[in-house]
Amino acid sequence: MMMPKKNITFFLSLALLTCIGAPGWAAQANEAEGNVGLSIDTNQEDLDEFFDQEETSDPLESINRVFFEVNDKLYFWVLKPVNRAYSAVVPLDFRQCFGNFFDNIAAPVHVVNNLLQGKFAGAGIDLSRFLINSTAGVLGLGDPALRSFGLEPQLEDFGQTLGVWGVGEGAYLYLPIIGPLTLRDSVGFAGDMATHPATYVCAGYLEGTGYYTADKVNLLSLHPDLYEDMKKFSLDPYISMRQVYLEYRRNKVLDRKNKNKIINDL
Amino acid sequence: MKIVKSIYMLFLLFVCLASFDSPAFAISGPTEQLKPTLKVLIDILVDPSLKGDEHKVERRAKIMGHVVKGFDFREMSQRVIGKEWKTLPPEKQDHFQALFTKLLENAYIGKFEGYSGQEIKYLEERLKDDRAIVSTQIENNGQDIPVDYIMLKKEERWMVYDINIEGVSLVRNYMEQFKSILRRDKFEGLVKLLEERNSTLE
Repeated sequence: MMMPKKNITFFLSLALLTCIGAPGWAAQANEAEGNVGLSIDTNQEDLDEFFDQEETSDPLESINRVFFEVNDKLYFWVLKPVNRAYSAVVPLDFRQCFGNFFDNIAAPVHVVNNLLQGKFAGAGIDLSRFLINSTAGVLGLGDPALRSFGLEPQLEDFGQTLGVWGVGEGAYLYLPIIGPLTLRDSVGFAGDMATHPATYVCAGYLEGTGYYTADKVNLLSLHPDLYEDMKKFSLDPYISMRQVYLEYRRNKVLDRKNKNKIINDL
Repeated sequence: MKIVKSIYMLFLLFVCLASFDSPAFAISGPTEQLKPTLKVLIDILVDPSLKGDEHKVERRAKIMGHVVKGFDFREMSQRVIGKEWKTLPPEKQDHFQALFTKLLENAYIGKFEGYSGQEIKYLEERLKDDRAIVSTQIENNGQDIPVDYIMLKKEERWMVYDINIEGVSLVRNYMEQFKSILRRDKFEGLVKLLEERNSTLE
């Protein structure tokens, strides 16, 4: 029972479309350091790939929409009031620390998936981040690996690994509580649970669920406007979210060219 | 032989420099055209005399007046409607464009107003015929966010018709939403929905 990266990425990618300027969407950027000089690239193949996007497979749309409504109600009836109380009681600094803590615990997931994708430099970075943050960062509450050493999280998960291995994304699913996934990512979700330490520490089902919920509530408290903004600015929030999720995940699997280049140069 | 070679190189260098200087070269580059557009936008956003709620109407009018020079709302409107666009009479196209532009203004400009002068880094430009992707990065709370501007050349001017943030396309998001609305409620239904939404966002 964990909070895999896909939920964070999902929330954050919503932010991208809705919260330019809000603090939330920044937390995800795992691009390597900037300062790259402008390069002109006329490699046309990946441009073709870019302009002709994949079609969306959503055969379960009618069921998905039902669960979308269910989660929408859950959001307004449960998650939002809980979040309001939580945010009022726990100051922002602490919430950011808890966010770091949850991210740090998930480090083994990212190390393993970097290795499975053959990204050894990335695995090294995530392992170093885990070691630095668990010690100098006081059990992962701080993020000195980023602040003092400039090590950006590499955040690979098993859904991405499967994508890199050539597994197709499969049908789009919208699950109660968990939210959007593709069939491939739901297998990835299960795979990531196997490498997540919380699965072994939180032995019982209840404890695991508790961990998952705590992570999710904390995440929401850091990005409070995302979901509502998304609803406000779209005429069909179900499709808007589906599109954000799918494109974001596809982009993660493809990896951005310049990011790859920089990592390979390390 | 060596002298001939170096004279030739010098000549080449000259040609390169000359072409860099000529206005024709400046016009052809999407990045060169995007930079001033975003620069003026940023200047408006950080202008202290335009800050605050009391200047909201003035500020937004200024922003929109400027944005239309570098962002092609006609192209965006056409793309989000898809095939049906060509069958619409011009006055309906204009009406839709106005509504859709208003939605984007309501949705996104408010979000940009939190901007506090972070630097935009220009990373890469990719070109194919009359289309281009300009990749940039903007720093936000210590993290770099990748933002790609998708541009189209129309009459020697490069205009933005889509923005991709972390690989998520703005135009495609609306296109997919409108596809099912058009199928269900037709063009008139979509226009009605847009009008309703805009009135709640005012």
